[in-house]
Amino acid sequence: MKRDPQTVCIVMIEDDEGHARLIEKNIRRAGVTNEILPFTDGTSALAHLFGPDGTGEASAGRAFLILLDLNLPDMTGVDILARVKTNPYTKRFPVVVLTTTDDRQEIQRCYDLGANVYITKPVNYESFANAIRQLGLFFSVIQIPEAEG
Amino acid sequence: MHISNTTVTRRTMLMLLAGALALLGIVTMSGWLAESTRQYSQAVGRMTAIRVAAGTLLSQLQDAEIGQRGYLLTGDRQYLKPYEAATTAVDDTIARLHGFAEGEDAVASDILDRLAVLATAKRTELAETIALMETGRRDEALAVVRTGRGMRLMDEARQALADLITPADAQLAAQLAAMNGQARMSRWVAALGGLFILLVVGGAVWIVLRYTRDLVQAQHAIQALNDSLEQRVAERTVELQRANDEIQRFAYIVSHDLRAPLVNVMGFTSEFDSGLASVRAHLDRQPPDGDDAAAAEARRAATEDMPEAIDFIRASTSKMDRLINAILALSRQGRRTLVPEAVSMQSLLENALASVRHQAGELGCAMDIAGPLPSLVSDRLALEQVFGNLIDNAVKYLDPARPGRITIRGRAEGNRLLFEVVDNGRGIMPQDHQRIFELFRRSGAQDRPGEGIGLAYVRTLVRRLQGDVTVDSVPGQGSVFRISLPKTLTLSPETPAHEA
Repeated sequence: MKRDPQTVCIVMIEDDEGHARLIEKNIRRAGVTNEILPFTDGTSALAHLFGPDGTGEASAGRAFLILLDLNLPDMTGVDILARVKTNPYTKRFPVVVLTTTDDRQEIQRCYDLGANVYITKPVNYESFANAIRQLGLFFSVIQIPEAEG
Repeated sequence: MHISNTTVTRRTMLMLLAGALALLGIVTMSGWLAESTRQYSQAVGRMTAIRVAAGTLLSQLQDAEIGQRGYLLTGDRQYLKPYEAATTAVDDTIARLHGFAEGEDAVASDILDRLAVLATAKRTELAETIALMETGRRDEALAVVRTGRGMRLMDEARQALADLITPADAQLAAQLAAMNGQARMSRWVAALGGLFILLVVGGAVWIVLRYTRDLVQAQHAIQALNDSLEQRVAERTVELQRANDEIQRFAYIVSHDLRAPLVNVMGFTSEFDSGLASVRAHLDRQPPDGDDAAAAEARRAATEDMPEAIDFIRASTSKMDRLINAILALSRQGRRTLVPEAVSMQSLLENALASVRHQAGELGCAMDIAGPLPSLVSDRLALEQVFGNLIDNAVKYLDPARPGRITIRGRAEGNRLLFEVVDNGRGIMPQDHQRIFELFRRSGAQDRPGEGIGLAYVRTLVRRLQGDVTVDSVPGQGSVFRISLPKTLTLSPETPAHEA
C-alpha cells in the first residue's frame, strides 16, 4: 500500500530552538512541504507518539518520520529511539538521528537500536544546510510505511 | 619489647667472652694440675728408684756379710762368692743413690756420704776378717765378728737408709695431699666454670632467640604495614581513576554541549549572511542618492562592515569548533580500550613515513629509518597516531634554509624501548620544551596551520601506553623527540573505558 508522501508528518524532537528553526528552514528550502511537528522535550514527544495511555495505539494508521536529537533535557534520545523501535505501532517509522555527537560507539548503538539514518550536525553551516536539504529530498522520495493498526 | 641490634650484639659478645674466660680458667687449672701430677709422678719415680737402690744396697751389704759368715763357718772359699759379688756392686749402688739424690737437699747428701763411709767401714771389717781367715787365724777373725762392730755398722747402715727414705716418703705424702687438694679445686673450678659457661651460653642463646622473635614480630608488623600500604595505594588508584574518568566525562560533556550553541551561531550567521546578500542586491538596484548620508551609511554597513563582522564570527566559530574537536578527540582517546598486540615497529614506521613521503619529496626532505627497529607488544593504533603526529610535525617544521632530513632510530634499554624521531628542522626554544606538550600551546613563529593539539595528543597516548615522551632541541639546528615505551604493554585490570 502506497501513501502519498504529502500526508507524511515529520516529528521533530529537538530541544534547541535554534537548531529546530535551522532544520525547518532547510527542509522547507528543499521543497518539502509536509507538516512538521516540533517537540522540545522527550516527554511531550512520547505523549504524542504513544498517546495518553502510552500503548502506541494512538499512532495506528499514522505515517511519521521522526527527526531525533539525542541530547534532550528530560531524557536521552536513545531511550526514545528504543521505545519507538520496540513498539509494534511505531517500529516502522523511519527515525533520523540528528545530533552533535559523533562518537562511534554512540552511532553504533543507535543503529543497533534500529535507527534508519544517523546524521552528525556539522558546525560548518553549509554542510549542515546541505545535509538537511538532502534529507528533505530524501523525505520527498521515500515511502513511509503506515503504522499497523 | 625492642632491643637494638648493637645492644644485642654487645651483650651476646660479652657473654661469649665471659664464657671463653671461664673456659680459659678451666684449661689453665687443668694445665696446672697436669704439671703437678707430672712433678708428683716424677717424685714418685725417683722415690721408688731410691727405695729400690736402698734395698739393693742393704741386700748387697747383707750378701757380703752372708758370704763372710759362710766362709768363716765353713772355711770353704766357695761361700765367698756372694761376698765378692756384693762388695764390687756396692760402689755402683752408692753411686746410683748419689745420682738420685743429685740436686736434692743436703741432708740426703750427708746421709749418703755417711752410708758410703759405713759401707766402706763394713767392707773393711769384712775384708779384715776374711784376710785373718785366709791366713788361718780363724779365731781372731771370729773375735773381730764378736766385737759386734760389723753388726753395729749394719744397724747404722739400716738406720741411714731409713733416714734417707722416711723424709722422702713424708715429702711424697705431702705432695700427694697437695695434689689431691689441687684435683679437688680443679674439679670445683671445672664444675663451676662449666656451670658458668652453660649459664652464659644459655643466656646468649636466650638473647638471640628473643631478638629473633622480636625480628620476626617486626617483620610481621612490616608485612602488615606493607599490606595496608598496598591497599591504600589501590584505594588511591581507584580514586585517581575515578577522578580521571570524571575529568574525561567532563571534557566530553563540555565539548559536546559547547557544540550545540556553536551550530546555532554558525547557522544563523549564514542565515544572516544570505539575508545580507539579498539586502545588498536590493541596495545595488537602488540608484545612489548622492547626498543621503543615512543611505550611504547603510550601504557601507551592508557591503563592508557586516560582511567583515560575519567573517570574524565564522573564523572564530570554526576555530572554536576545532578546539572543541581537539578536546573531544583527547577525551575519546582516554576512553578508548587499548588492545596490546605484537607490533613490528619497522613496518609501522615505514608506513608512517610512506604516508608523508609525497609531501616530504616536494620539500626536498630525506627520510630514513636507522633500522632494524626493535619490535614490541603494544596498541598499534595508538603507536601509529603517536609516530604519525611526530613525523607530521617534523615535516611541517622543516627549516627552509637547508635540505631537510628526518631519521628514526630505536634501541632496547632493559625492559624498555627507546625511539627517537630526529629532524634538522627549525627547532624549539628551550623554554618551550615542556609547554609544547600542553593542549593548544605552540612554539616559535605561528606561520603554520594548527591548533597546538598534536603533541598534547602524543603525550596523552604515550602515557596511556605506559611510556614517556621528551624533546631535546636546539633552535635553528633541529629536534629529537624521544619516546620510551615498555617492551610489553600490560594493562592493569582497570575499569574498562566508559561507554559514551
